Amino acid sequence: MAHSDKPKQPKILILATLAGGYAGADATGQVHLDYPANTYILPVMSPVMFPPEFFLRAFERGIDAIIIMYSGTDSPYKVEADGTASLVNRTYTLMKTRGIDIRRLRLAAICTVCVKPFLKEVNQMADLLKGIGFVKDEITAPAAAQAKGA
Amino acid sequence: MPENTPNPESPAPVEPEEIRVGVYTCHCGGNISHVVQCERVAKMVGKLANVAVSRTDPSFCSDAGQAIIEQDIKELGINRVVIGACAPSLHEQTFRGAVTRAGLNPYLYHHVGLREQDSWVHASDEEGATEKAMRLMAAGVAKARLLDPLDPIRLGAEKQALVIGGGVAGLRAALDIARQGIRVTLVEKSPFLGGRMAQLESIFPTDEKPRQLLHDLIQAVTAQVGITIFTQAEVTGVSGYVGNFSIQVTQHARGVSPEMAEALTAACTQETPDPFNYSLTRRKVIYQPYPGCYPAAPAVDWQHYDGQPIQVNGKSIVLQDDALVHELIAGAIVLATGFDPYEPRQGEYGYGELSQVITLPQLIRHMALVKNGETLTWNGHPVRSAAIIHCVGSRELDGVHEPQADGQVNNYCSRVCCTASLHTALEMRQRFPRLNIYELYQDIRAYGRGHEEIYRHTQNAAVRFVRYHGDDGPKVIAAPKGDPYPVLVQVKDYLTYGEEIEIPVDLVVLAVGMMPRQVDDLVNMLKISRGADRFLLEAHPKLRPVEMAVRGIILAGTAQGPMNIQESLAAASAAAAKAASLLSLGKVELPPFVARVDPAKCNGNGACVTACLEEGAIALQTFVENGVEVQRAVVTPANCTGCGACVGACPNRAIDVQAWTLAQYDAMVDAIAMDWPELVEVEK
Ligand SMILES: Cc1cc2nc3c(=O)[nH]c(=O)nc-3n(C[C@H](O)[C@H](O)[C@H](O)COP(=O)(O)OP(=O)(O)OC[C@H]3O[C@@H](n4cnc5c(N)ncnc54)[C@H](O)[C@@H]3O)c2cc1C
Ligand code: SF4
Repeated sequence: MAHSDKPKQPKILILATLAGGYAGADATGQVHLDYPANTYILPVMSPVMFPPEFFLRAFERGIDAIIIMYSGTDSPYKVEADGTASLVNRTYTLMKTRGIDIRRLRLAAICTVCVKPFLKEVNQMADLLKGIGFVKDEITAPAAAQAKGA
Repeated sequence: MPENTPNPESPAPVEPEEIRVGVYTCHCGGNISHVVQCERVAKMVGKLANVAVSRTDPSFCSDAGQAIIEQDIKELGINRVVIGACAPSLHEQTFRGAVTRAGLNPYLYHHVGLREQDSWVHASDEEGATEKAMRLMAAGVAKARLLDPLDPIRLGAEKQALVIGGGVAGLRAALDIARQGIRVTLVEKSPFLGGRMAQLESIFPTDEKPRQLLHDLIQAVTAQVGITIFTQAEVTGVSGYVGNFSIQVTQHARGVSPEMAEALTAACTQETPDPFNYSLTRRKVIYQPYPGCYPAAPAVDWQHYDGQPIQVNGKSIVLQDDALVHELIAGAIVLATGFDPYEPRQGEYGYGELSQVITLPQLIRHMALVKNGETLTWNGHPVRSAAIIHCVGSRELDGVHEPQADGQVNNYCSRVCCTASLHTALEMRQRFPRLNIYELYQDIRAYGRGHEEIYRHTQNAAVRFVRYHGDDGPKVIAAPKGDPYPVLVQVKDYLTYGEEIEIPVDLVVLAVGMMPRQVDDLVNMLKISRGADRFLLEAHPKLRPVEMAVRGIILAGTAQGPMNIQESLAAASAAAAKAASLLSLGKVELPPFVARVDPAKCNGNGACVTACLEEGAIALQTFVENGVEVQRAVVTPANCTGCGACVGACPNRAIDVQAWTLAQYDAMVDAIAMDWPELVEVEK
């Protein structure tokens, strides 16, 4: 199918820690288990580096869902478990003010060999997007204008 | 206070250069190109701004493939490189090497994983996989445009290593490291060296005497210059990083002085089950596990000593644990904390309910207590028939076996128990020729050199083999009253097409698997990872098989997974080589992925300092700028882990983790989110 004929797919961004989710995604690849291709995995040292505005900007640019695959309490970074949970909660508050369904942002602890949990998270989010559609149809207030540094 | 001094971290002003990105989409010998249309990806990416060249190749990691990249850097003036290939964990270092050889800063290269995270997981959706590759490569280019040249952080490294665990692996690692001229501290939790190997009597595949081998090894260790041994000791605190870990070791007292040892041991009446004999016997709380142990002096078992006075020569002596705390520095840490045999659940194959059911380690100790020429007895009765059940606590199946306390089943093979069972069966045959011996197995995994021969000898030694299926294992029940044998083992034998058989026995031996020793405290202190099997996890099974992801922490022996002695020793020597190569230069290089402050944006509000939990990583310092005192955040790279907590906290975006900046992530998000018309436009 040529690109132009292809129905537009929602996009799932996965921010995956090198010490956890990114290696978990590689482990899933090593056993050749299929999951939807509209998933874009970016490695991160730790998700605590992202301010809430980063997520709002990403949604505004057209990323329909974001899964943070972090290492939770197994993280090599002291700050990761609590810091990421707090970050996600602050982001949820801002998402609500923009009318963005907070289910579009998910936090999941994924370890280096967590193949099944990885697939579960990705498939659940893909299924959710089938139901709730594109983020651009949902955003009620411009995020980027208010986001610092955007 | 520096006057008009720019923040020491401000990058030196550089001439703006034209960004010329070279993009390389690898076929990976078909692994990627069978699913992803690499030529289309290369064509699309080639049209993006700043991309000077975009190529494909069957295998960029080959020498010829790397030469193409090096040539482009030299001849086309490529100053940023993006490679789409297998997982970065496999070849990132390879390509950094190629880029460096061509004279480019190694951090001006970005790696995109197109195999494990694309072609291998979207085989049924070639179009989707190709689109994904395009977006990921476009994101790579977007990041590459914003990469800066970086230098690794160079730190002095202490030429000292810490080895935790004094079993055969820890002893070997300590000796090999010290022979490279690096001082070693060996910390052993128990009062004696040797670990589990000391509990064996004759070892496969050579039939050697393990305690003699240990004795020789320990003698070499104690004679070696530069090794300090702490027994009855544990690591109770760790801080720092590779090259410079500060370690606190707490060491319990031996409890009895050499002069009083004999008298106190004789006078001590308190007893406890003897762990050396897996609780088959009892021993005093002042003890030596076996004659010839090291150190030879008896020690007090503080866990079980009840604190009551011991009467010696009319004197009443209460033993005191005057623990010592040692502070030391080490450049690298070797973890050799070993394994524990799996402890079957109450009722598992009758364990804990039928007194005739024991484990293989118990049988080995029990046979050691039977004098040569004597009959094998159990519960005071001669053993006429014994069944060894393989895979107890190993190769368990979800939904079939009851999970462990943590909800998981042990689905791994413990590798050692097959040969250990066969070897023990052979010894039984030799020592007790009239005994009926049955081996109930799923598969025989006698995989090492000389192990297959042991299997064959066992087959020829009138040992009967019964093959069961993992989801339909044997059942162990008490025989009805009046039966000639006390226990019946019921099993479907798949060597005779599922025939149901009943084996009457006097003894059932459970060939229990290996479990990692409980090292939660070390895992938390060192922030290291465990695998799904709960053993300590190497950074990469093939490329970094003995290093952990946390730099400077190295694995030796069965702390990493089931291994026999030969494998434990090989792993220990590999660990020692890693430690020595890391420390021998007296300095280490760390990746430059640490926070960097942009002094032009920093207004000294200190949010970053509050957010950072790493001691000494970031602080506010006072500078004078244009005659005015200002506060600016300053990072100490050696203490910064690069987690980015400060980045998320800064309201001015004045701080970033080098090579992982927020601006780079924004740019990558834009590339991934690119709408169809734009993508199709560039693809035309
Ligand atoms: C039944 C059975 C029979 C076997 N027979 C054979 C055989 O015939 N041939 C063969 O090749 N292999 C055999 N093996 C395997 C062999 O026992 C192991 O390969 C070997 O003992 C592993 O040595 P290790 O040093 O890794 O671990 P261990 O022997 O477990 O040593 C680990 C040491 O670390 C110490 N430690 C643990 N935690 C800490 C801590 N936190 N701080 C400080 N110290 C700590 C422990 O006290 C111990 O001394 C057998 C195994 C079993 C179960
Ligand atoms: S080595 Fe043999 S007995 Fe042990 S778990 Fe593997 S297959 Fe089972």
